[in-house]
Amino acid sequence: MTALGRRAPALTGALSWLTSPKTLEGLRLQAFLVPIGIVFAVLFAIPLAQSLYFSVTDFNGYSLDVNFVGLENYRKIFTDPSMLAGLGFTLLYAIGTTVIVTVLAIPLAVLLNKRFFGRNVVRAVFFFPAIPSIAILGLVWGFILSPLGSGAINWLLDAVGGFGPVPWLSDGTLAQLSVIVVAVWSSTGWHAILYLAYLQSIPGDYYEAARVDGASPRQSFFRITLPLLAPAITVSSLLLMTGGLKVYDLPYTLTKGGPGYATFTITQSIIQSGIAQAKFGQASALAVVFMLVVGAIVAVQLVLSRRLEDRVS
Amino acid sequence: MRKQRSSPLLSLLMILAAAVVGVPFYYIVVNTFKTQAETSSSPLAPPTSLYLDNYIRVFENTPILQSFLNTLYVTVASIVIMLVIGSMAAYAMLLRHTLVNRVIAVLLVIAFLVPGQATLIPVYRILVELELVDTLEGLVFLYAAGSIFCYFLIQGYLRSLPISIFEAARIDGAGPWQIYWRIVLPLIRPILITVGVFQTMWIWNDFITPNVFISSPDKQTLVLQVYKAVGQYSVDWPAFMTLSVIVLIPVVIFFVAMQRHIVNGLLQGSVKG
Repeated sequence: MTALGRRAPALTGALSWLTSPKTLEGLRLQAFLVPIGIVFAVLFAIPLAQSLYFSVTDFNGYSLDVNFVGLENYRKIFTDPSMLAGLGFTLLYAIGTTVIVTVLAIPLAVLLNKRFFGRNVVRAVFFFPAIPSIAILGLVWGFILSPLGSGAINWLLDAVGGFGPVPWLSDGTLAQLSVIVVAVWSSTGWHAILYLAYLQSIPGDYYEAARVDGASPRQSFFRITLPLLAPAITVSSLLLMTGGLKVYDLPYTLTKGGPGYATFTITQSIIQSGIAQAKFGQASALAVVFMLVVGAIVAVQLVLSRRLEDRVS
Repeated sequence: MRKQRSSPLLSLLMILAAAVVGVPFYYIVVNTFKTQAETSSSPLAPPTSLYLDNYIRVFENTPILQSFLNTLYVTVASIVIMLVIGSMAAYAMLLRHTLVNRVIAVLLVIAFLVPGQATLIPVYRILVELELVDTLEGLVFLYAAGSIFCYFLIQGYLRSLPISIFEAARIDGAGPWQIYWRIVLPLIRPILITVGVFQTMWIWNDFITPNVFISSPDKQTLVLQVYKAVGQYSVDWPAFMTLSVIVLIPVVIFFVAMQRHIVNGLLQGSVKG
């Protein structure tokens, strides 16, 4: 009784703090963060912790006898031919599409920024391939590149040059090339529109002054346009690179990852070994390595482009 | 500023280039009006007559309407949920700068950078536990992860508004919920549309999630249905093209109606992303 009596002031103090209008309002406001907190916990934090845990155990999804195996799963990734192939093609795809799309999208944006008849329609046509699902476009391209008579490209090669059919999707190197070409086809216009927005913010006076000073169009492009596009290049190449590393839909629908493992991707590898074959440990190790690779590449790319931007400005 | 002259040569060049880029779409559309024999003998020729059997056959053999409704349900539910969660979080973060909230902000940035592949296997197991594998609600649950992206864009937009609006409402005695419903949501409508359009494209077009999590034919989304139909129509090319065209029609309508918002989303998303 006395103990309770002594505690009472502190208790009422805490109660009055809890029930004060200011605290209450603060708590009610804090409640707005509960939903995103649940999303964060259930879809990010807990699964990520589990991925890390699975990656150092021999957990197979069924057996309750789980053992710590250290880095064994990580060692296995680098000796598994399919995972190595997936790693290789994913890197090739990410770097290939980033470089090719950037090299094509910048000049395309410059041209789309000029005045010409039909400009709006041309812009829309270039932009459109990025709008539908790339999975459906991958399937459609599978038919276009088919070696059969109805495959448009081989039909055209036969009609024009009398040769073919070229095994676009059944030869390893050609399949890799085909996947990258279709990706470039679908995303160049999208990135050109991104560059276009940045181009439109460059004051026309700059070009006027350069022209008065006798600069050639080539010089204006390299001395004015390109440096002022540096922030856009950072953004666009970062999107291409991260998107490229996460690629799954296009190679999967166009070539199923084949022939052999020629166009196999990391994502396909994670799904196949982790869900279809229940090799949780190895798939989780690959997922962790993948996350670190993506993080490292993004970090390097950000540092490099920051430097580049500093140098040109 | 000197007004640029329109150049006929450039125009010709660009129209030709655009035609090359557009050929695949021409190819699939013309082949929907051909018989199989016509498709294999002259795949790029325009159709000789208005042949509509492919459309009739595809509608009879494929439950397109069911898949369309599935996709619509998943997309609408996911977009509403992620916009609500994202905007609620952005609003609370704007008005409360406590230490806890600053930590939360950092955690959300990290979560945003984690690729979905890194969490895929445990998330699959969580869905199995919740008995949400092979359900449309399971897809909605997974797409709620997009709330974090919405949160970033909405927060950026909220910051550009004068904070005095919310202060004034508070002094007038409005509670947090009232301010959120009556003031915040109407004010952030432009960014909600931009983010909504952008995320709609993601969910509507997504292939990896339905492909991993959906197996029942009656729960397929449109994209998954086209993928599954490749086997069914592997010899019947015109039927496959027809199905693709039918599935692409809503996308084309969406593109034409929302082009401005799509470009906005592309720019804002790229600035944040």
